[in-house]
Amino acid sequence: MSLNPAREEILGKVRMALMRRIDAPVPPIPASARVAPRVAGDVNSEIEMLLSEIGKLSGNTRRVAHKQDLKAALQDLVKTEGIKKATVWKTPDLQELGVADVLRSLRVDMVSPHADKYRLAECDLGVTGVDAALPETGTLILRSSPERPRMVSLLPRVHLAIMRLSALRADLHQVFADVKDDGYSIFITGPSRTSDIELTLTIGVHGPKSLHVWVMD
Amino acid sequence: MSEAPTRIDFRSNVQHVQPQMPAAVQKATMKFLGTRASVVGILGDDHWQALRQAGHDLRLHAINHLDYYLAQLEEQVTKAGGHVHWARDAEEAKRIVLDIAQSHNVKRAVKVKSMATEEIGLNHALIDAGIQTLETDLGEFIVQLAGVGPSHIIVPAVHLTKEGIADLFREKLGIDAPTDPVQLAAIARAKLRQEFLAADMGLSGANFIVAETGTLAIVTNEGNGRMCTTLPPLHVAVVGIDKVVPDWESLNVLLKLLPRSATGQKLSAYTSFITGTRRTNDENGPTEFHLVLLDNGRTRILQDEVTRETLLCIRCGVCLNVCPVYNNVGGHAYGWAYSGPIGAILSPQLLGVEAAGDLPFASSLCGACAEYCPVKIPIPEILIRLRRRVVEGDRVEDPSASPVLRVAAEVGGRTLGLPWLYEFGSQLLKWVQAPWRSGGWLPNLPPPLDRWTMTRPLPAFGADFREWWRNRTPEGRRRNLERKIGLGVLAGGLIALAAWLLTSGKAQRLTRKRSR
Repeated sequence: MSLNPAREEILGKVRMALMRRIDAPVPPIPASARVAPRVAGDVNSEIEMLLSEIGKLSGNTRRVAHKQDLKAALQDLVKTEGIKKATVWKTPDLQELGVADVLRSLRVDMVSPHADKYRLAECDLGVTGVDAALPETGTLILRSSPERPRMVSLLPRVHLAIMRLSALRADLHQVFADVKDDGYSIFITGPSRTSDIELTLTIGVHGPKSLHVWVMD
Repeated sequence: MSEAPTRIDFRSNVQHVQPQMPAAVQKATMKFLGTRASVVGILGDDHWQALRQAGHDLRLHAINHLDYYLAQLEEQVTKAGGHVHWARDAEEAKRIVLDIAQSHNVKRAVKVKSMATEEIGLNHALIDAGIQTLETDLGEFIVQLAGVGPSHIIVPAVHLTKEGIADLFREKLGIDAPTDPVQLAAIARAKLRQEFLAADMGLSGANFIVAETGTLAIVTNEGNGRMCTTLPPLHVAVVGIDKVVPDWESLNVLLKLLPRSATGQKLSAYTSFITGTRRTNDENGPTEFHLVLLDNGRTRILQDEVTRETLLCIRCGVCLNVCPVYNNVGGHAYGWAYSGPIGAILSPQLLGVEAAGDLPFASSLCGACAEYCPVKIPIPEILIRLRRRVVEGDRVEDPSASPVLRVAAEVGGRTLGLPWLYEFGSQLLKWVQAPWRSGGWLPNLPPPLDRWTMTRPLPAFGADFREWWRNRTPEGRRRNLERKIGLGVLAGGLIALAAWLLTSGKAQRLTRKRSR
């Protein structure tokens, strides 16, 4: 590889300013630059906190006790949000819950999550799982993989995230351990929002206009 | 904002601040400070202060070993399928991005708000080359339509009213827009949705780049950041070399500090973590990723150990919100992409003090910025350092004063260091000021002191504070009396000596001897 003069000049100036030789060793990051991770409470209080934080951010939350109750919940959602077209992640969990089948039975037009961006943008609803969740901030973490296309939680007008209790994490520290080697992950804290015009809070700017989070045991 | 300014005249800019600006700016800054106070309150002050200290130590560690982390970053980004470019200055950065765009036959680009691209004036370079380049953050989209720069780091269009924005939409987009913020946002959503889908290239900056894995962290609220980095097949990020952090654990600290300080959120609506290109076709995302690492004066900032801490900045904008100067003039008066206290220290260092030497003086040095800064940048200290550079010449490499100034400062320092001399001088002022005194004021002083009294009178010197202070105790009263006697004797002695010298003619002989 030939030398890049801009690179050499910039790194050279950095070393000169810091008075560091090429390949000078780096001391470990000082302990004072670290903070102790948050300690989780019991599962119920953690879930309560998560749902309450999401609620404060104008997200809709619901606890779904059994797989059988899912149909009624989806029926509600389709009706209240006027869902005509939907797309669903292809993860084993969502397939086992039969989300796509239930939606189809509710006469919702199903679009493959691997469809092109124009077709996904026509969907009213995108359904995803939740790979991790942070109660303190009301945050959902969605990873990226062939079963978990990124656009499903982005382009449709409504985002439904179905999470399991096992997704709870105490702090960013634990989440980062899971996702740091991923090519992509998105941390979602409430629906898309802005206060750019006269500081008036407006929900649903570019991302989904409404966020629904359902917790299943 | 297009070209870097060659001379920022803060005073003159202040004259052109629209009258509605301070009220609009203060509405925003008060709101952000209010929400910030409540989310910081939940954490508790001890925890918050520990986080700030960690943020400071972490950023300083990264900046002090920048060469190492940049090399690691480059290696990791390349490993993840990305291309790394190095840009020494704004021109080089613009040329790199333009080359990438042209070699991919890009016609339409969508862009996430980024201070680095604002700094280099990337939009103009692309638009001049015939590439449609759209800002997609709602506030940035509005100021781009208006053809002005942002007035606040976080809320760029804070100076515009909904009526003004509706007019702008009518004029520039040809849409009959209502004056309702929610409906205006809906219009922007519909318009930009088409652009996101059609764009050939997504442009972004990054809030942080993680050396450990080569990951960009991008914090947004509207979702435009996700659109720009997910939909177009090509993603180009322009990021300052100061944005690198060692590892993900660093983000555990910084992501707790940034949204809380910026908008008073516990986390922003969307935080994206992007490492290289997409790994499989089915998961979406760009097939090509370029990272442009921008110097543009940052290595020069590194050279001075005091001002180096400027580079710790995470661009939260809280220093603007608490700054009494910023709150009264808004962002445009600072004449460039960066405003408020951070602009006052960053612009003079990036542009040079010849261009932005006014800005370090646009501060009362009240220190609120340093109290609030989530990474504890000593902004007032840096302001003073830069004032010195303005006076002495911008020589980071050789920070020494002119001989005259050095002697003057030495004499001044020694005088102020001797309490008796200082007090004697202030007693003298009581008499010296008599010709200009009018009641308790000095309304008109002779040049060069008239620079002050042109705009406001100076209170007359009373020189009685120390005396008053001592008078509170019997011991002090005794010392006051002694001093008065001492001063009387000294003054009497001086007068007697002067009289004797004059009458005996010794004074003339002494002066003659000196001049030989």
